[in-house]
Amino acid sequence: MADLADQHENFKSSNAELITVSTDTKFVHLAWQREEKSLENVKFTMASDPTGEVSRLFGVYDESTGLDLRGTFIINPEGNLVASEVLFYNVGRNSEELLRRLKANVYLSGHSDQACPARWTEGAKTLTPSAKLVGKVYEAT
Amino acid sequence: MEHACCGLKVGQSVSDFKMETFEPAKGDFGEISLEALKKAGKWTILFFYPADFTFV
Repeated sequence: MADLADQHENFKSSNAELITVSTDTKFVHLAWQREEKSLENVKFTMASDPTGEVSRLFGVYDESTGLDLRGTFIINPEGNLVASEVLFYNVGRNSEELLRRLKANVYLSGHSDQACPARWTEGAKTLTPSAKLVGKVYEAT
Repeated sequence: MEHACCGLKVGQSVSDFKMETFEPAKGDFGEISLEALKKAGKWTILFFYPADFTFV
């Protein structure tokens, strides 16, 4: 959570709304954010899904525990799901990778003929898939 | 776990949803909906985690 808070401004500057979700109520979110020292810089929205309805929609609700798995999803402004990742309870995530994925999708939304290759970061070369590129990716990257 | 259903796949359209929120920036409660976020032209990142008061 603190890792996300560190990157929050970067998400905002890409016109993204960062929303964390668990099955806790909004009252518990408030109590946790005020009590836990590592959350003092959190400014993003903390959403509550006590019935698991939204969590089920994204396939992250664990019926046997009533808790959510560590799912991360990016939805574009048209309402389409463009990135999806789910980790089990015991592995944390990396906000830099999430930001990289967001930036790649934002870039491609304005350059739909292109593609972002492996380890692409903002400003790096992209690929334009075509007949000419077949068998020549090694020259293009 | 075996019965997890309804998992959206990338490329699919996401149906509208609403949730109650706590907004630390305002110190107040609120509500979000996908519809409102789409109207505002925003990219939406949903970051699910197991429970408050644990590591996230």
